[in-house]
Amino acid sequence: MSECHLVRESMPLLLVEALERGERERAHQHIEDCGDCSDEWAAYRETWRSMGDLPELEVPVRVRARFLDAAGVAEPAPASRVRNVVPFRRRPAAKWLAQAAAVVVIAGGSWFAGTRTTVLDGARTPATIASITPAPYSIAEERIIPASEISPHIVGRPDIQNVQFLDPQGDKVGLSFDVTSRVTVTGSPGDRSMVRLLSYVLENENSMAQPRSRAIEWVKQTYSDPQFADPEIAGALARLLRSDEHEGVRIRAAETLKTMPAPAASATRAALIEALKNDPNPAVRIKAVEALANLSQSGEVFDPVTIDTLREKAAQSDENLYVRAKAAEVLSSVKLQ
Amino acid sequence: MKHLSDQELMRIVQAGDSSPASEIYDRYSARIYNFAFRFLKNAEAAEDATQEVFVKMIRHAKQFHGDAKLSTWLFSITANWCRDHLRKADNRAKESDDVLVTLPAPGELSPERNLERRENELRVRRALNALTPEQREAILLSRYQGLSYAEIAQIAGCSEGAVKTRVFRAMETLKKALTGQAGGGDRCLNVIS
Repeated sequence: MSECHLVRESMPLLLVEALERGERERAHQHIEDCGDCSDEWAAYRETWRSMGDLPELEVPVRVRARFLDAAGVAEPAPASRVRNVVPFRRRPAAKWLAQAAAVVVIAGGSWFAGTRTTVLDGARTPATIASITPAPYSIAEERIIPASEISPHIVGRPDIQNVQFLDPQGDKVGLSFDVTSRVTVTGSPGDRSMVRLLSYVLENENSMAQPRSRAIEWVKQTYSDPQFADPEIAGALARLLRSDEHEGVRIRAAETLKTMPAPAASATRAALIEALKNDPNPAVRIKAVEALANLSQSGEVFDPVTIDTLREKAAQSDENLYVRAKAAEVLSSVKLQ
Repeated sequence: MKHLSDQELMRIVQAGDSSPASEIYDRYSARIYNFAFRFLKNAEAAEDATQEVFVKMIRHAKQFHGDAKLSTWLFSITANWCRDHLRKADNRAKESDDVLVTLPAPGELSPERNLERRENELRVRRALNALTPEQREAILLSRYQGLSYAEIAQIAGCSEGAVKTRVFRAMETLKKALTGQAGGGDRCLNVIS
């Protein structure tokens, strides 16, 4: 079988970048050297391009109604906005953090109260902590404090929320509330507690996009260093990429994953692929395909699903041109499982 | 539902809850409709195909295996439906290639460019219509849906080699119709089997 025969037979595959790298390079080399095949290739590409002029039609809305009716499915209620913030709700994963913070608050508050009470006439309340264990500090905790053990003087204007009044029990009454205080946690970026805290903050920072984007930017500067690359941070970014309602946050999440070294970022490949396939914002898809390109360059082995998605993107006529080109570029350097 | 993967949505449907149906419809209906429309050359039939494909998806959800791509499975159902439809001789009379008159004109193009584009659309549509159904199915899935030959083979129920042949022959026909260049390959190629 002649070289021309083989090359022309593979031209449809060449068009969709589905040939393996070696074969593709050989085919292009032959096309460059052979006038007939060069003409043939030009005609193939022109045909392929012309086919792209066929418009994508919108499905008439009646089809949807007919389908839902025929399937006996009720039209879903308008989707409520996804909330990524979990206000004052402790999660099991962060429970130990919560406990540690409470100790910080108790210790700091007691010390503060103790120093203040020295200049007052009121009865001094000892800043004692009944039971402190060698366990680490915690960031939040639900606790019951006897009124007799706190200072009668409220310093500053603490932000007290969610006040509940408890039913009297015997001669005691009670009120329950959330109160904020400022805690500073310092440590190495590699400390497990710091990683866990940052992951939590990334996903639970204020629902406004800006604070979360700022948090991501900070994480990017700190955790792009290979010595601190951490799968848990990458996982938190992947979850943002998947579900955050703010496109700016998703863009930054994908961008930060792009800068993370492969060992940490490889576990997020599914999220990158999902973003590349489904994210409505082209900037997110661009960052996602760039992140995949970085993974590929670092020697990451891609599974068939990843390859198929990249192939689909490379061939998708209505996709952003840069995404298509980048997807094709990744395919050209990819290692198969 | 939007954050769930296709597989997760299908697991819910398989468990007897059809509530994800509209989400799956929103994800795939445009692709299914356009494929059916180009395959059948008939807007009304494409609407029926789209509706029935998704109804079948719900009724036969248990036949979907989680390790497959949902798009491949849906295109399999669609292609089967379209092939059945084409087999019915009385449907041929309904085929029409003058659907361009129903399409809205892209507003941002100049009248000359618009006309040129419409003419090109018509040429592409006629060229596609000149293909055999097998070739048309293969080229539509490859060119417009970006499916791999392996996926197309699964959908068409044939080998990858057969898909390769169908796409190659389709491209030769389309090339001749759209560029006027007869199979340059014929000068040194025997038709591949």
